[in-house]
Amino acid sequence: MRVNVDTAACIGAGQCALVAPDVFDQDDDGIVMLLNAAPSEPEHAATRRAAALCPARVIVVDESE
Amino acid sequence: MTTTPTGCPVHPRVLPTDGTPLEPSPVLGEWREEGPATPLHYTDGHDGWIVTRHELARRVLEDPRFSQQPQRIPGETIPGGPELPYLDDEALASKRVANLLFLDGEAHSRVRRILMARFSVRAGRSQQPAIAAIVARQVAHLLTVGSPADLMAEFAAPISAAVHRLILGIPDARADEFARLFLSEAPVQDRVLFARAVIEQKRTDLDEDVLSDLIRSDLSAGEIDWVALVLMISGRDAAAYMMATSLLALLRHPDQLAALRDDPDLMGGAVEEFMRYGTMFVALFARTATEDVELGDTRFAAGESVSVSAVAANRDPQRFENPDEFDITRDAFGHLGFGHGIHGCLGQQIARIEIREAVGQLLAALPAVKLVSAEQLNPLPFAHPVATYSAGSVIVEWS
Ligand code: HEM
Ligand code: SF4
Repeated sequence: MRVNVDTAACIGAGQCALVAPDVFDQDDDGIVMLLNAAPSEPEHAATRRAAALCPARVIVVDESE
Repeated sequence: MTTTPTGCPVHPRVLPTDGTPLEPSPVLGEWREEGPATPLHYTDGHDGWIVTRHELARRVLEDPRFSQQPQRIPGETIPGGPELPYLDDEALASKRVANLLFLDGEAHSRVRRILMARFSVRAGRSQQPAIAAIVARQVAHLLTVGSPADLMAEFAAPISAAVHRLILGIPDARADEFARLFLSEAPVQDRVLFARAVIEQKRTDLDEDVLSDLIRSDLSAGEIDWVALVLMISGRDAAAYMMATSLLALLRHPDQLAALRDDPDLMGGAVEEFMRYGTMFVALFARTATEDVELGDTRFAAGESVSVSAVAANRDPQRFENPDEFDITRDAFGHLGFGHGIHGCLGQQIARIEIREAVGQLLAALPAVKLVSAEQLNPLPFAHPVATYSAGSVIVEWS
């Protein structure tokens, strides 16, 4: 799994950092910070969940890798 | 299938007023059965739409083809609201940038980006001890007031005001003035003057808070005053509403209350269920289609207003199993209690901590708390014509 974030679109609502804290954090300006662009298997479900919950479609999960 | 907004001319479709926060109007459910969106009559005579199904609600809120302008109101207007004072051109221009919920695209993100830093998950975590201390002081106050007491007046409302002051950075010395102007009705002019005075005072005393960030930003002086004012109003009442309504939901469901007392680790998920089950926004702020928009089987024509019912979407059986059941162990994430899309609630991480602390500490302090009465168990007038449910008083007793 590969994760990409479009930081320019982030509105800082923090859903990602709330539901997948091992993969996402927010920087000092509140903008999403990718902690792990290639999360391991146990993180997959939480990562997909964060992508689905993100209100601004910032998070793109590529399942092909 | 395509439908058009042909609301009956004799009985135009308006938001039902027979619902309560914990038992929303059955009419919303009927509309949801009919289709993902149904016609809605706005107070200016315009016929637009209301979206009641969760999936379409999310799609509308994420779609940049909808604008926050013009803002049409579906709820009953509240008569006798204070008139805006005369504003010169600069003040009018400043006022236009102030309310995030009336802005689109760049104009919106320009202001939101200035504010985001203090509302992240991490920022919330660093404010957690201070919020817990505010709640602890209010629990002590409640015990002094003694049984019976109104949870809204003696607990939820004062907490919401103190947390708001903490996050924004309104000096403690102005606590009483803030409460007088923002916890009850007050002339807008007085609130404007208050916001201005606070900003003036803080200019020489910058700190780690939202108002200081505003002053440090590239907004004009007039813009700073208005954004400050809007933030003083935004979400304070909603946080109080949610604390009171969450506690009421628990008191009405003793099994859920017992489960939460037994296992405080359930609190994180429980807060999401409070937000879903006790949703405040019968309709979010109206969106207007800037072009013809087709989403699934639903077509919105350019210029039509679309309201999203967070209450209805949060009880959509296609999204939440047994939606009318209050179940703090369910996965309620994905609810629209804080909205969704680029206007999704800025204060939601702070609000989550506030609700969690208020509910947790109150239950711990009052092991034998019981409900006496709550105004919101009967339909109340909307708190805001957008429209939102009102919390009212929640009277409890304990021994
Ligand atoms: C439990 C408490 C709260 C609830 C239920 C709530 C609910 C909401 C909802 C539903 C929206 C979106 C409205 C729409 O899209 O039409 C919103 C937006 C907003 N909320 Fe909250 N809110 C709460 C607490 C707060 C707090 C504590 C603040 C702190 C200042 C706040 C500030 C805002 C702001 C500034 C917006 C506009 C965001 C934008 O347009 O980008 N809210 N809130
Ligand atoms: S959920 Fe989306 S918008 Fe919110 S902080 Fe994370 S990436 Fe940004």
